[in-house]
Amino acid sequence: MRSSFGAAYLKNYKKEITLKEMKNLLYKAVAVLAMSAALTACSNDETTVSGTGKVALEFDNSFNGNDLILETQANTTASNEVLKITAIKYIISNIVLTKEDGTTFTYPKSDSYFIVDEATATSHVLDLKNVPAANYTKVTFGVGVDKAQWELGATGQADFLAKAQAEGMMWSWSAGYKFIAFEGTFTSATVGTALPFKVHTGQTGTDYNYATIILDLKTKALVRSNITPQIHIVTDLSKVLNSTNVIKLSDNNPNGTGAMIMGGANLPLVTQNVATMFTVDHVHND
Amino acid sequence: MKNTIIISLLTFLSIQFVKAAPVKDSISGFTFQKMQLDAAMDFDCDACGCSASGGSMGFSSMLNSNFIGIRYFNQSYSSRDGIFANSPWIDENFNTTQIWTKIPVNEKIQIAALIPYHFHNRELTTGTEKISGLGDITLMATYSVYKTQKDSAVFTHNIQIGGGVKMPTGKFEESNNLGTVNQSFQLGTGSWDYLFVTEYMIKKENLGLNSMINYNIKTENSKKYQFGNQLNYGSTFFYLLDLKTVQLVPQVGFAGEVYETNKQYGEKVINTAGDILFSKFGLEVGKDKLSLGINAMLPINQNLSSGNIEANYRWSVNLNYTL
Repeated sequence: MRSSFGAAYLKNYKKEITLKEMKNLLYKAVAVLAMSAALTACSNDETTVSGTGKVALEFDNSFNGNDLILETQANTTASNEVLKITAIKYIISNIVLTKEDGTTFTYPKSDSYFIVDEATATSHVLDLKNVPAANYTKVTFGVGVDKAQWELGATGQADFLAKAQAEGMMWSWSAGYKFIAFEGTFTSATVGTALPFKVHTGQTGTDYNYATIILDLKTKALVRSNITPQIHIVTDLSKVLNSTNVIKLSDNNPNGTGAMIMGGANLPLVTQNVATMFTVDHVHND
Repeated sequence: MKNTIIISLLTFLSIQFVKAAPVKDSISGFTFQKMQLDAAMDFDCDACGCSASGGSMGFSSMLNSNFIGIRYFNQSYSSRDGIFANSPWIDENFNTTQIWTKIPVNEKIQIAALIPYHFHNRELTTGTEKISGLGDITLMATYSVYKTQKDSAVFTHNIQIGGGVKMPTGKFEESNNLGTVNQSFQLGTGSWDYLFVTEYMIKKENLGLNSMINYNIKTENSKKYQFGNQLNYGSTFFYLLDLKTVQLVPQVGFAGEVYETNKQYGEKVINTAGDILFSKFGLEVGKDKLSLGINAMLPINQNLSSGNIEANYRWSVNLNYTL
């Protein structure tokens, strides 16, 4: 085969021409392919961005890297306390989306109060509607109800007051909203038999304890009439007790009947921790 | 399934030995041209050309340079279904049966075509998900830039370059990319993709080494999803053992794949880049106009999708008929 090839090549002039032609043809083909690839790669169809779309803000509760499972899952804190979480609820409010040019879109305040409850799957995703089409790079939200809103009085709360009461996220009107309700049982080196714990934040004394969270989006959220970005936020509940500040449940168990952290000096510390527990895992533009 | 294949292989071999007809092929007439498009044809081993696909799987036939054949290959992956440490790992099986052919236009130019049919499944916690259908058809041409002409040369060399196009004949379903880590559970990329291949073969007597590099440029599909470009490379040693009644060609080598990040609406999709290096083992058995090959690939080192996808193994079996 090889020898016959050599002979054929020398003997047959006509064939050589054919080969040259083929060679040229192949080069041309490769060039065309390369060009079309380059063209396709460059042709970003810049259709004008207008109108409105939707955004889904998903809150996915976890504990130190593991998906949260209520009741059964044993979660060990950095302080070596083992928590079984029976309930986690928090109020998310005042959502602001920042566009890539730095301007912001503030979600209408009257629609911007939500309760995320681990036990209710439908509450994990906040569906934002009528969001101006744009490329968004940041999301900002509050944990709790801001003081200005609370100061509007009971009538200024619209239907959120009733909702918060139904969800057990009110202490009383005068005491205000619970911003976070984190509950379960715990054991530790000094607590052998599981005792209940409750961490509730909200205003206490002169501390209002509302937290504002600003998160960068790793992938731009492209809001269009036909694209609803899903911003997948992971909430790491291990940070409620172990983050900027370390709070041990065992140290808050004065009567040996459980740890109830609902006021006093601990709440500002917990609030600082809460401010660190949210991260954007990813953004789907689907 | 594996057992069935092995039994079929043994059966095939025993039949061939029993029938043992007078040999027509002599060793001198037997060139290693069969290896030529080996590397070039690797590219479509991908399940679809997506993140954890099989682009460097390879091994065409070394026993017949111009052939039509059928090949089955299986790729086994484990993927994390979720974003957490305790998210479940699920099994994914990518199965492909493909018709492939290689036809010479003249002494220097060859064209090749691959027509794959995929049937993939994965065991989600909610049940088994299955997709099947025609995959992306590939057409390509290679050109021999340099080839040793002297029969007396101790070493012979062959350098080939080529290019081709992969057409979006396989279905791309956006919904297969929702909620799961592995973005490759597709029948096709949905895009026109372009292939550039180079291959170098050196051989001395019955021993040869084939090395290849190819690069796949993937474009944005109609759903504005764009799989990352892909680099495949590899080297395979092969040895021809002529037993008069049959020829045996054992092969051993390595193959690697590097994937760039996928994009959606021009935005990077996280955890879609990666790389993997495989060891390769194979055996080809030739008899008259037929050749049967069986190959396996085992990962040596991998980092796919930030550790959220693990390739377990790949294996293939093919039957080729010399044209």
